[in-house]
Amino acid sequence: MSAEASIPRPNAREAGAHAGRGKSSEVRWWTRALAALASLKLTLAVIIAFALALTMVYLLNVESSWPIAVPLAAFAVNLAAAVATNGVFRRQTALLVFHLSLIAIVLLIAAGRLTYLRGEAEVSVGAAFDGRLSSAQAGPLHPGHFSKVSFVNEGYAIEYSPGMKRDDTRNAVSWMDGEQRRQAVIGDQEPLVLRGYRFYTTHNKGFAPVFVWRTDAGSYRGTVHLPSYPGNAYSQAQQWTPPGAAVPVWIMLELEQPVFDERAAWTFRAPAEHKLIVRVGEERRELRPGDDYALPGGALHYQGLTTWMGYSVFYDPTLPWLLASALLAVASLAWHFWRKFAAQPWDA
Amino acid sequence: MTAELTWLWGGVLAYVAAGALAIVAAVMDRKPERTVLALMVLGLILHTVSIALRWSRLGHGPFITLFEILSSNLWSLTLVFALAYWRVRAVRPAAAVVMPILFIMMGWLMVASPGEGHLPPTYRTVWLYVHIGLGKVFLGSVLVAVGIAGIVLLRARNLAPARMAALPDDRRMENLAFRFMMLGFIFETLMLIAGAIWAQRAWGRYWSWDPLETWSFLTWLTLAFFLHLRVTYRLQPRHAAVAILVVFVLAFLTFFGVPFISTAPHKGAV
Repeated sequence: MSAEASIPRPNAREAGAHAGRGKSSEVRWWTRALAALASLKLTLAVIIAFALALTMVYLLNVESSWPIAVPLAAFAVNLAAAVATNGVFRRQTALLVFHLSLIAIVLLIAAGRLTYLRGEAEVSVGAAFDGRLSSAQAGPLHPGHFSKVSFVNEGYAIEYSPGMKRDDTRNAVSWMDGEQRRQAVIGDQEPLVLRGYRFYTTHNKGFAPVFVWRTDAGSYRGTVHLPSYPGNAYSQAQQWTPPGAAVPVWIMLELEQPVFDERAAWTFRAPAEHKLIVRVGEERRELRPGDDYALPGGALHYQGLTTWMGYSVFYDPTLPWLLASALLAVASLAWHFWRKFAAQPWDA
Repeated sequence: MTAELTWLWGGVLAYVAAGALAIVAAVMDRKPERTVLALMVLGLILHTVSIALRWSRLGHGPFITLFEILSSNLWSLTLVFALAYWRVRAVRPAAAVVMPILFIMMGWLMVASPGEGHLPPTYRTVWLYVHIGLGKVFLGSVLVAVGIAGIVLLRARNLAPARMAALPDDRRMENLAFRFMMLGFIFETLMLIAGAIWAQRAWGRYWSWDPLETWSFLTWLTLAFFLHLRVTYRLQPRHAAVAILVVFVLAFLTFFGVPFISTAPHKGAV
């Protein structure tokens, strides 16, 4: 096999010489610039810059995308200049497709960063996701269709193996598709996809006391999400302020039966035997399902205990195109080298 | 478990015999190539039985514990090298370089705890097999290139036995190593793509720069850098050989080192 089996691209000097041949002896400055941008030496410099930026981001835990974006942009320019100036790409289709695919990947990554959304949401069983995220990051050009996305958490089951090893998660969800209600079971490896937004179940889930808060202005039904369980099994407390109330309410879940045995297999579920410790100011009360508690500004009615599920939300419209471009890049590269290697036996 | 370990020991002994014979043959200028290949195949058969017994007992493949990952990689690396050894004559003397590298893995495997691990729900997908399978071909291809690079470096220092010295010239050997590196590059790229698909399904993101992803990508960049360096500067064979060793060391540390420092869910080995 000869060295020609590698990816041939001229360096700046070679390309400049080619550009000048057959024309005038003077090579235009932009031709030289384009040839310099197309050089393999620049590719090497960009790879080094990329590796250094990556190492810096990794070691210093840098949140910004810019250290990676700059070498990626330089890489795209280098590739585009190479495709524009190097005649070898017109003779070798596979090589041309490979380089164009790489350019497409860089552009799609950029488009993805501009339009993506990543967030977290918590939804109680029986409640609808109302478009509110507990945390979110989005690109500046994110289209913002999120408020139109809605589904109902119909309930879930999570199996645990002995030793507190989490197994399968199966979460029933339903949503409206036009006039029709649709249902599905999502979980590990299976997200719910609505309008391009992907909802994934997570390890983050817990108990949620259901309250009705009655005031002169009306009554409100809602849940309070206790900290994730069993990760925070020994700190199942939360404080919140009911709508229009003057004072915050502190609650703590007290289990009267163990929910799990670490040595045995178990299923995550809301415990039947439990009580809530409620503290308002200096006053302390214990509530069981069906109990009421009069507070300044309204009455708190405890209906019972349900559970909530934490979802991670992901949106990136470039995903299928990115996958197609990556597969095209690797297929064209394999095709190119397959032809080169097949021309001469491996054992020559 | 005793039966699994007995079969494993049998396989390791056959590998050691193959490696020892390859080294002795290289030094003594002998050519017991069929015997070396037969011992490697015997080791692979015994090792396969061990892995199959464990798989059957636990209900999942060798993907979880350090013991399982070392065992499956030892198996796959030997398989890839045995295939190259069988099909490409110029690779055969490289057994004296490659087998000692595998001896290190065998020693590590022998002291690793053979205890059981829990298969997380995110591992119950066909992408596990695709991702890991592609990774094994990648590492195996680079290992074959390392063997050839070792011959080039031994010859550069006049340490090569007669069998190695009689092989094609350094330029042709380096070209052969380049083919295996290119094969490795394509399979590593496919491994990263398959991993991204799996990560998207399992964790809701295709790439998050966790330690294993970052080091895998750095390995990919280093390999890409080597391939471009070779084209740009027409590297001398011994320089290319050193670059191949660098890529292998980085890949090896990524496969077997990073999982120990990572706290991310993407562990590789736990």
